Formats: sequence, C-alpha cells, structure tokens
Amino acid sequence: MTNSFSEFEKAKLFFLIGTNMTEAHPVASYFVKRAVLKGATLIVADPRKHALARKADIFAQLKVGSDVAFLNGIMYVLITEDLYDKAFVEANCVDFDDLKAKVMEYPPERASEISGVPVETIREIARTMASIKPGMLCYTLGITEHTCGKNNVMSVANLQMLLGNMGVESGGVNPLRGQNNVQGACDMGALPGTYPGYQSVTNPESNAKFAEAWGVDSLPDKFGLMIPDMMAGLATGKVRGFYIFGENLANSEPNIAHVEHELASAEFIVCNDIFPTETTRFAHVILPSAAWCEDDGTYTNSERRVNRVRKIKDAPGQAKPNWWIFKEIARRMGQEWPSNSPQEIWDNEVSMLVPAYAGIKYARIEQDGLQWPCPSIDHPGTKFLHKDGKFARGQGLFKGIEWTPPAEVEDEEYPFVLSTGRRLFHYHTRTQTMRAGLDQILPEETADISPVDATRLDIADSETIKVSSRRGSVKVKARVTDQIPAGLVWMAFHFRDGNANWLTNNVFDPDTKTAEYKACAVKIEKIV
Amino acid sequence: MKKTIFIDGMAVAFDGEKTVLQIARENGIYIPTLCYHPKLGPAGMCRVCVVEVDGMRALQTSCSLMATDGMRIQTASPGVIEARKMVVNLLLANGNHDCLSCEVNGDCELQDAAYHLGIERPAFLVEEQAERDTSAAFIMRDPNKCILCGRCIEGCNRMVVNEVLDFGLRGGHTKVICDADVPMGQSTCVQCGECVQLCPVGALIDKKGIGQARAWEVEKVRTTCPYCGVGCQLELHVKGDQIIRVTGIDGAQPNQGHLCVKGRYGYDFIYSDDRLTTPLIREADGFREATWDEALDLVADKFSQIIAESGPDAIAGVSCARSTNEDSYNMQKLMRGVIGTNNIDHCART
Amino acid sequence: MREGNQENVESIIEKYPKKESAALPVMQLIQEENGNQLDAAGVEEAARALGMSKSRIYGIATYYTMFNTRPVGKYHLQVDTCVPGFLHGADEIVKHLEQTLGISVGETTADDLFTLSTVQDLASCATGPVIQVNDRYFENMTIEKTDELIEALRQGKEPDNDTSMTVVSECGILLNDRTQADCRTLDFYKRNGGYQALAKALSMQPADIVNEVKDAQIRGRGGAGFPAGAKWSFLPKDDPRPVYLICNADEGEPGTFKDRQIMEFNPHLVIEGIAISAYAIGAAQAFIYIRGEFTWIADILEAAIEAAKADGQLDHVDIIVHRGAGSYVCGEETALIESIEGKRGNPRSKPPFPANIGLYGCPTVVNNVETLASVPYIVRHGAETFKQIGIPNNYGPKIFGVSGHVNTPGVFEYPLGTPLKTILDAAGGVKGKMKGVIVGGLSVPILTAAEAEGLSLDYDSCQKAGTSLGSGGIIVVNDSVSIPELALRTIEFYHHESCGQCVPCREGSLVVESKLRALVEGRGTREDIDLVLQLCGTIRGLTLCPTGEAFSMPIQAMVTKFRPEFEALIQQ
Repeated sequence: MTNSFSEFEKAKLFFLIGTNMTEAHPVASYFVKRAVLKGATLIVADPRKHALARKADIFAQLKVGSDVAFLNGIMYVLITEDLYDKAFVEANCVDFDDLKAKVMEYPPERASEISGVPVETIREIARTMASIKPGMLCYTLGITEHTCGKNNVMSVANLQMLLGNMGVESGGVNPLRGQNNVQGACDMGALPGTYPGYQSVTNPESNAKFAEAWGVDSLPDKFGLMIPDMMAGLATGKVRGFYIFGENLANSEPNIAHVEHELASAEFIVCNDIFPTETTRFAHVILPSAAWCEDDGTYTNSERRVNRVRKIKDAPGQAKPNWWIFKEIARRMGQEWPSNSPQEIWDNEVSMLVPAYAGIKYARIEQDGLQWPCPSIDHPGTKFLHKDGKFARGQGLFKGIEWTPPAEVEDEEYPFVLSTGRRLFHYHTRTQTMRAGLDQILPEETADISPVDATRLDIADSETIKVSSRRGSVKVKARVTDQIPAGLVWMAFHFRDGNANWLTNNVFDPDTKTAEYKACAVKIEKIV
Repeated sequence: MKKTIFIDGMAVAFDGEKTVLQIARENGIYIPTLCYHPKLGPAGMCRVCVVEVDGMRALQTSCSLMATDGMRIQTASPGVIEARKMVVNLLLANGNHDCLSCEVNGDCELQDAAYHLGIERPAFLVEEQAERDTSAAFIMRDPNKCILCGRCIEGCNRMVVNEVLDFGLRGGHTKVICDADVPMGQSTCVQCGECVQLCPVGALIDKKGIGQARAWEVEKVRTTCPYCGVGCQLELHVKGDQIIRVTGIDGAQPNQGHLCVKGRYGYDFIYSDDRLTTPLIREADGFREATWDEALDLVADKFSQIIAESGPDAIAGVSCARSTNEDSYNMQKLMRGVIGTNNIDHCART
Repeated sequence: MREGNQENVESIIEKYPKKESAALPVMQLIQEENGNQLDAAGVEEAARALGMSKSRIYGIATYYTMFNTRPVGKYHLQVDTCVPGFLHGADEIVKHLEQTLGISVGETTADDLFTLSTVQDLASCATGPVIQVNDRYFENMTIEKTDELIEALRQGKEPDNDTSMTVVSECGILLNDRTQADCRTLDFYKRNGGYQALAKALSMQPADIVNEVKDAQIRGRGGAGFPAGAKWSFLPKDDPRPVYLICNADEGEPGTFKDRQIMEFNPHLVIEGIAISAYAIGAAQAFIYIRGEFTWIADILEAAIEAAKADGQLDHVDIIVHRGAGSYVCGEETALIESIEGKRGNPRSKPPFPANIGLYGCPTVVNNVETLASVPYIVRHGAETFKQIGIPNNYGPKIFGVSGHVNTPGVFEYPLGTPLKTILDAAGGVKGKMKGVIVGGLSVPILTAAEAEGLSLDYDSCQKAGTSLGSGGIIVVNDSVSIPELALRTIEFYHHESCGQCVPCREGSLVVESKLRALVEGRGTREDIDLVLQLCGTIRGLTLCPTGEAFSMPIQAMVTKFRPEFEALIQQ
C-alpha cells in the first residue's frame, strides 16, 4: 500500500475494485464503513454485489476480467472531458501520450460493451472521482489473479496518477495483502529476483554486498524460478529438490489434479510445517515447526508496517523455530551463521543490509510498529509513499494498456464463469481455522450462484450440485445469493471437498506468474 | 493556553478542549464510569460519573462536561456519593450481579464502582430473570448482567459498522437485541467480538475463556494477528501456556483495538492435537519418526548430492507468507548463500 | 416489497430532507398494509426500503407503542387508564370489556375480532373514559355506550364519536367558534382576519418580528414556561447551515388536551403561526410533530397546509406533518428531534442545545403549538396589546384543560393570572369535596385543597405555591380517591413511558413502582415509604432529561403531603 490504514477514516472518496474487504480484510472494512458514515463517497467495482457494494454510492458490477477496459473507459472520460489533474501529470509523470493513445481506443461505449457496466455509470464514476480529491483506491486479488494481473495493476496506477491522487494523504494505490506476512516475505527477498529490500540479484553491487555480508565467495546473479516453473520442473526432473516452507500447495494452487501430479513426481521434497497437510503427504522429510506464539519475530503488514510477534510458550514436542531449522541445514552444509535469535537476525542482519529498514530495530517496535522506508534510527517511518509526487523511479510512468480477456472464457459446454476467493470464517486451506472452532459457523464449501440461475436450473438453496471445468469436477452445496449476477459461480478454497482449485485454470500472468484464480469456465448440473 | 480547574480543592492545569472526566483521569482521580468508553465518547446514560460543580444547580455528568477555566468541581461531596450509590444500587437491584463465578470478576466496571462506593450488597432487590443466549459460536450473552450502557451497540454500529445490535423495547423492558430480536447465533452477527471487548460487565462473554482463568491470573502479551495482511495488534491474555482470550489494543496501529472473528477467536489451533511434534522421514508405507540430527543430515546430504550432480538450480524453495520475516530471511539466505540458487519464491501474489 | 408499496414508500422518502426521517411513516405504511401488524417480514421490508439495519427498525418498532410486532385482532380496543381516565372510571370500562369479550387485557378474542389493551394517556382527559379502536377515538364512554360500540363493531359498523365537553373562550384568540360547521376552513379563517398577520410579517424584517415576540415576553406554553423570543434569539447568527422550525404537537402530558383543540378546530392559526415564525428565524423547512394517535387531526392539518399553499401563503416555507407513534418522551424537544431523524425517541444530552445542534445537526427551534398559535396575534396587534392580557411576567391567553372531579370538564381560554377558582367554576365546580389538585399536568406536585386556596394560575404564583403551571392541565381529585393508588397510577405512567436510556429513570421508576405497588397491595413496609422518598429525592435532577423530575416530584409530593394514607396501608 502506498498509504496507511489510519488514513481510511479520513478519506473523502474510496474506489474499491476487486476487493471484498468485509470478508477478506474485515478490520479494513470497518474503517471504510466509518468513513462512509462520516460522509465519504464510496465507489465499488466488482462482479459481486457484496456487503460494501450495498453501501456504495456508485456500484459498477463489472464482468470478470474486464478491468482494463473498464478503467480505460473511465480514463477516456477523464481525458476527453478534461477532468484529469494536468498539473500533477505534467510535473510528475511521463509518457502521458502513450496512455492517451491507448485510452482513446476505449470510449465508454466500448468499455461498457466489454465490462457490462452502463456507459452512464462509467461517466459518473469518472466525474465523481474528478470532483472529490483525493480519492483512495484499494484493490486485492480481484485485480492481480488474472493472466492480465500485471496490466490490471498498471491500469489502476494509471488512473490514480491521472487523477493526481498519488503522494497525498488518504489517496494512493492500495493493494490489501492477503496474508499476514506476504508483504514481509516479499520484502525479505523470498522472490527469485531480489535480495531483501528489493535489491536486485542482477545488480553486481547488491550481489557483492550480500556475498560479503554472508561470508560467501559469490552469489547467483540470474533470476530464479517462480512457483509454477518450479512445479513444472518437478515433473520434468529439472528441479530435483524442493523445499516447501509452510505452504499447502496441494490445495492452494490451481488445478489440484495437475499440482498433485507434479508433487508426486518430485524426487525429494522437504516440508517445514506445523500440521500434516495435503502437501506434506508428498514430502520425503517433514520438519516440525514452531507456530505463531511459539517464537519471536516480526510480520510486515500491507501498509509496510513492521510489527512484533511474541513467544508465549514453547513449541510442542520437538518442534523448532524455522529460522533455527534453516540455520542448522546451513551449518550441516558448511556455513556457520552468527545470528542466534530472531532479534539478532533482524537487528544485526536485515536492518543492516536494507537501507529502508536501517532505522527499524526491535527496541523501537515494542509498541506500534514502524513503516518502511525508515532509513535512520530517528526516522518516524513513512505513512504514505511518493510524497509531493516524488516516485521511487523519479517520474511516474504512464503506460497504455490493452485489454485482454481471460485465458478461458465461457462457451456452450462450460457456460458459467467461475471466480474464487476467501470467506470471512475461514482462512486459506483451513489448516488453522478448522482447528479453532470456525467450522461451527461455516462447516463446508458452497458454490454461490445467482437466484436467476438457480430458478432456471431448478436448484434450491443448499442443494448439492455438480460443478465441472475442463480440469475436474466437484460436488458441493449451492448457496443461492443475490450477491452473484447471472452467469457467475463463486467458490472458495477452504475445504478439500468442493475446493475451487479442482476446477481453476493453471494459467499465469506471463510476468508475475500469478495464476488466473479469478476466471475460468465451468458448468453446473443438478444431481438427479 | 493553560487553564486551571479545581478538583476537590486541588488546582489542576490543562490545555485544549477536555472533559472534566478526562482531566480527572489524567490526574489519577477516580470517577466511576459505566457507559463512557474513551473510544466511544460520552453517552451520559448511566449517570454514575456525576460531579458537583460550583454554580450549577444539578449534578453534572463529568464524561460530557467540558472543563472551563476556573471551574470548581467536587467529586466526592455527600450529594455526589448519594447519587452514585443510588445508581449502582439500582443497577444491582435488577438482574443477577453475582460476582462469585462471574467471568469478569476482577475486571468489571460495575464491581469497581460498587467497591469504591462501599456497597457490599444491593440495598434493595427487584427480581427479574431472563434466559442466557448461548446460541452463537463464540459469544455468550447474559441479559441478567446487562446494565444497558449501550457500549456494545455503539461499537457494533459506529466502530465496526456491522449493524447487528441495537436497543429493543423501552423503559424498564429495554434490552439489547440482535437483528429483529433473534438469538445471536441466528442473526447476521459475524462474531467480531467488538461488543464483548466494550462490555463493562459480564453480560457479553468470550465463550472460549469460560472457566479458564480469573482476571488477575492472566498476563497480557502484545502480538500481531496471524491471519490477513491488515496486521492487527492483539493482546493475548495468557495463563501459563494457555491463551484465555484475545482483545484488541485501543489506540494501537493499525487496527485501533478492533478485531475480526478470526483474529479474536481463531487462536487455539496452536494447541491442536494434530500438531507435528517430531521430524518425520518417508518410508515405503508412510512416515517414521526421526531425530533432528537424522532428519537434518538427510536434508543436507541430499541437497549436497543434488548440487553436486545437477547444480544448485536443481533445487527450489518456497517460503511461507504466514511465518516471520526472520524465517523468510533465513530461508532465502539458505537458498542463495548456501545452496547457490535464486530459485526462491513464495505465494507472493495470493 | 408488497405490490404497490414501492411507490408509496418512495414518495414518503422524497418528502423528507433525509431518508432516515421516513422511518416512522414508512413503518406505519407497512403496518397498515399488513393488517395492522409489523411482523418480521415487515421489519425486513422497512429495513431494505430505508437502508437501515433490522435491529434499528425493530428497535424503533418496539420503542413506539403504536407498532404491533405481534398480531392483533381486527379491532384493537385501547382503553386509556392513565390518571384522568382512572378518575373518570376507565377501570370499570376495562373490567366490563374483559367480561363481555371473555378475555384479559393483552389478549385477543378467539375469532380474532378484538384485542384488548390498556394504554397510557390519549389526551382526551375531559372526555374520558376513552377507547381508541385502531386509530379512532370513542370518547365520553359509559358501560352502555361500550356495549353499543362492541355490538356495532361486530356488525362492521363504526358509531359516531361523542366529543362533547365544555368549551369557554374568554380571550377568543386561540379557540374559535367550533360550533360553526366550516370553522376549519381557510375561508372561515380568512373571514375572521386570518393570514393578515402573515402578510404583515412578510413585509417586516425578520429581526423585527423576533424583537416583537421578545417584547411580548410570551413564555413557552409546552410546560417549561421559557420565553419563546429568547429561545429564537439563541440561534447562531450568519451560520451557513439550514435552520429548522419544529412545532411540538406531541401533546402527551396526562391532564393536557389543549393543543388538539387549536389544531383540530383552528388549524390555520397554527399554520399561520408557523409561517410567521419560520420567516422570522429563517427556516425554509418546518415540521409539525404530532402525536401518532391524533391521526384525524394530522389529516386536518395536512388539508389545511394544502389549502394555505394553494392560497399562496406558504411560498417561503415547506411544512411537513410528521406523525409520532406512541411515546410520551418524544414531547421533550431533543427526543422529538431524534424521532424525526428516524430513531428511538431517546432524549439527547444537553448541551449542545437544539438552537445550535438540533435536527440533522443544524440550528433548530422547537415551539409548542399554543406558543406558535399566539404569534399571529402578537405580530398583528403588537407586543403591547398582547401584554394587556394577563399579569406582569405572565402575559397572554392560556388554554386550561380541566379534568377529573369537576361537574363539566373541558377547555377554558383565559388570561394568565386567572384565579383557579374562576376556572373551576367555569368547569361547573368540584364534584364532591376536593382533596387535591394538580394544576400543570401530571408531572407537577399535587396541591392539597388548602394549598390551592386562592391560587392564581400563572407561572410565578404556581412556583410560589410549590408547584408549576406546566402545560395548564388541571386535574381535580376529590376525597373518594386514595392517594397511594393515584401515586401508583402516576408512576405506572412514567415507568411505562421512560425511554430506558438513563439508569435513574429506567431503574428508579421500576423500583418506585414496585414499592408503591407493594404498599397499595398491603405488602409494603415503612422502609418502602422511606425508600420511595429517598429515591425520588436523589433522582430529581440526576436524569438525562426532565422525565426523572416529572415523576420524582409528584410522587414525592403525594407521599409527603398524604403520608398517613400510605402508612395506613402497612399491615401491622
């Protein structure tokens, strides 16, 4: 997030696209709702009329995967009606002409045809956003989990730059991160191209700096593999050893049958985990880990805030902290690492190696955490990025974006679009929540369908139906809800039975390798 | 500009716009409150925080009374004490305010008020009993302990804006209702527990903690929620190894004391009998238990063998977006610095 | 949404500056369309239409007594058993109905034809006993007339209502000649000089009108007696927010039934008063908040507003008639504002006062019907002429309602400062021997016959006598009445009407009621008497709104002044 949660309540306008905060980020949704109570304008764009959509001043019920066209349509109105922030664009951005040229191919009529959002609504959104400044744009996986995910992200950035909503309080582009420490894992360099703090592995200076810090002669300087390519490598034998730390890939990756085939082909899998999972079944060695509350450390939240987690008890049995396990493997492979506690790792390594963390030390985050960048020990942290329009790369780069449809669209055989996500009462593959009593509230998966389709197919609420895609099929209870428009099926991946990932399409954004969880074609059948 | 008020004859300086209650609290002067909560602001409903003000005929609620320069306040005059005693007695008279086995014994604002006023037992009684509502997964409601302060309702409607709770009926029949007065478990309540955290008495209780510990036995530990990317700050109420309950921390960033159902009630997976407790090594027909040395040596040997045979890029690793920064840091350090590959990723985009 | 309701609901919502204000009328409509019941489906329908939570709608539905969340019979018989009704024999009517219908209070007959309820104060004090059947009043009831009513209803007919009572207007300013068939019409009103004051006002500077009203020193007729002109001048100057004027027509103090006399028979006087006052304070939107039971009077007002509008009198102000739904506390100005905002009628903590933060957070003036109805006279004839009526510091005409033990109860418009004896004589004199008199509505301390001797009916004299002129609702009690029973009846009203927000009122009224009941039923002790006095003494001034005082003071007076009667009930 460029901005912070504390700015939500003061915001004058929200544009929420592809985010259902009420279920996926409940506490963030409180702040949005509070701002609305105080008079903030709420614009929601989503295929589902979810709880926040019901509170919206303007709701655009766009078709799954039409985001780029829809956003281009809004920008068309902003540019042709001269409503964009020319001063901001001229002072802080480059390549406006590139954006304009592409956007001109998307008049609202065309955007409407692709997205299903009425022309007037597109115009109204543009005019409203131009008239209320600043506006805060938030998105979640509804933007990223597409084969055009990167393009979607660039489109929302284009929009906010065009409106001059960057570098200001209660503005910005704000992706709400799905997991407690997905931000931190990125920041820590659990990515194939960057060391901690986004220092590139291909930059010789960075490379040399980390080699020296870690006491090694050299470090690899080529980009590594992303998850889908690693998995593919398991099947071809290109990847022989696979280390899975705390992920339940067998349930969380698209196309379970295919994923399990890849896992089963692996020569050697090591898993660190706290529970046996569908994935640990494929392991050759399982290492029991300390869980939350059994180790000290830090998580970094969506707003770049480094927060402490604390140990209150020992791990059960012989389970060990993960950092210790990695350190022990390193030792057995010939390297002695000096740090012997999470605090030593952070204070003596991470914070020393990453300039943006230089000012973050355990002693400073006993209470509220600090938001990076925090370059010095007396720096208060950074609430919002790009202050006064100063972007990290100097100038904000516009880029004209072409709309592309999802890789698989509905057809005669598979006439429904399946979109997926999380529900409030469970988390991911349910490894934690099923062991914390949440099954009392939500005991099984459902396929959410529209009242229109339910009537047409003679399906009653709670009736077990069959949902199939080209990759698999599941039997699952129908949940008939007016949140869902006709033609859409919506499912989650919390339960092994009825898991949406038996159906989802294992196709990926070419750059980010994010899977297209949000769109594939399915059919639904009554079981007779 | 510095201003001064006189509380029980003592000069107290303050600046800005403040209520008499705020100034009293900042200066360690106890004034009981029930319906007031700093997060919600003054409500003026319980009338237990009244004080006497020179020049004003009636007693004033200190939670809503703005201090003005030179104001003279009595917090313990006979009139004030009589009023407070009556209010507390009236609340004790109706319902079931029995502290013996109450979950919030020792952490109850009504009990505190009664204690400070020296009320040992209610001065008079009016018996009325209502059923407890145990229908919800994580929250138990006991209307016999409810003092109708309205904090839960304000929290539900103004803080988390879930809009489930409100007052129903009127006068002496007034009660807190869920939706159109249905049991909480059948209502649209999402069990965020904001109401429980705001309840000054034992009318709203976290079911998971029932019978687990007295208020004074727990130690409070601040930590970060293990679920979504908001990063809510939690206060764990811990007795021994056990988490008894979880609350938000008022004013703490980013969540300002608010939580959701998972953050507040989804904590006890760590105590599950399913936990992995020993290293396991695959055998033909399943897994066998192993020592750490055995398991770690096997991993190190196998990785070394693969590196020797196929190069470091034949090994890949996926880190965990749930675990700590320090764990992820060490894992990428292992992959890069020890194994020698950049094949490190995690579910960065999900 | 049921067929056809959608449009009606939308037209109601459109009427209001804010959607939430449509809550009561929309719920009333849904209840009406659904057989006089607001069931779970109705609550959900209202919640959806208004964009409010179900709990908020249900909370409103169960706050106001006129919403039926449970089924009622085709005819809902509601007998007013509050103090004036009690003195007029309402309890006998209830007993008779229980016998005739074979049901107890709160029950419905097996054929779903009748539901029997007792209700608290219908503002028909001189015409009691009164039975409200659904939304129609039947006044001056006797056992015989009750039988006739039941029989007629069984046959699907509705008999005429007997509204007869004594009406005397010495001043001739507020009460008009209701014997004229067209007394409510614009034509009649204008023939008798109506709307000339408005014409004059519109040619004046607003500030000059405010000054004129200030100079007239008219004291608010709702009960508090606060100078109306001063209230207007509290409005902030040069404030960008809209200003609202609210006419408080929620006449609900037992013993009081004066405002309805003006509204029902002389509606244009109220409207002219509002039109002038709105102009004077700069309000473009005015409301008449009328108690929900007065359905036909609300209709009369709406028709009169239409007529005045058509006549071009209301070009500068829009007037909405907003119907309450059964709550005494909504007569308190901040509760009334909450009610218009579509909430439970809970009074607000003051400060801030409505003049600064009132309706929708904007500057607001709330004036009583009788106060506003006096404004045209002041403007037309000037403050000095107005001040020739009454006595110093208590100027102008006042309508006194007399109920209880007098020979010819009714309404009497006399100058302030008129002796109590004059009014009682006009009401045909006391029936039997006077034990005590309540001169300002049920919420003021009772005077013994001796204390009432020589009393002048004005604000200052009443205060000097240890009571208050209040709303001018005079309730006469003769020596057949047990004061402990009167006290119980009194606290029952306030306990029933307490909004439930603040502890001293909600719990205090409950404890006082339970102790008085114990005494009346012979279960009481001397300690109970002391406790009642102690509670009343402490509650006074401690509650969030004046309701605490409204019951603690009269109960305290009854117990103190007639203590031997209470002590006599203690079983030795």
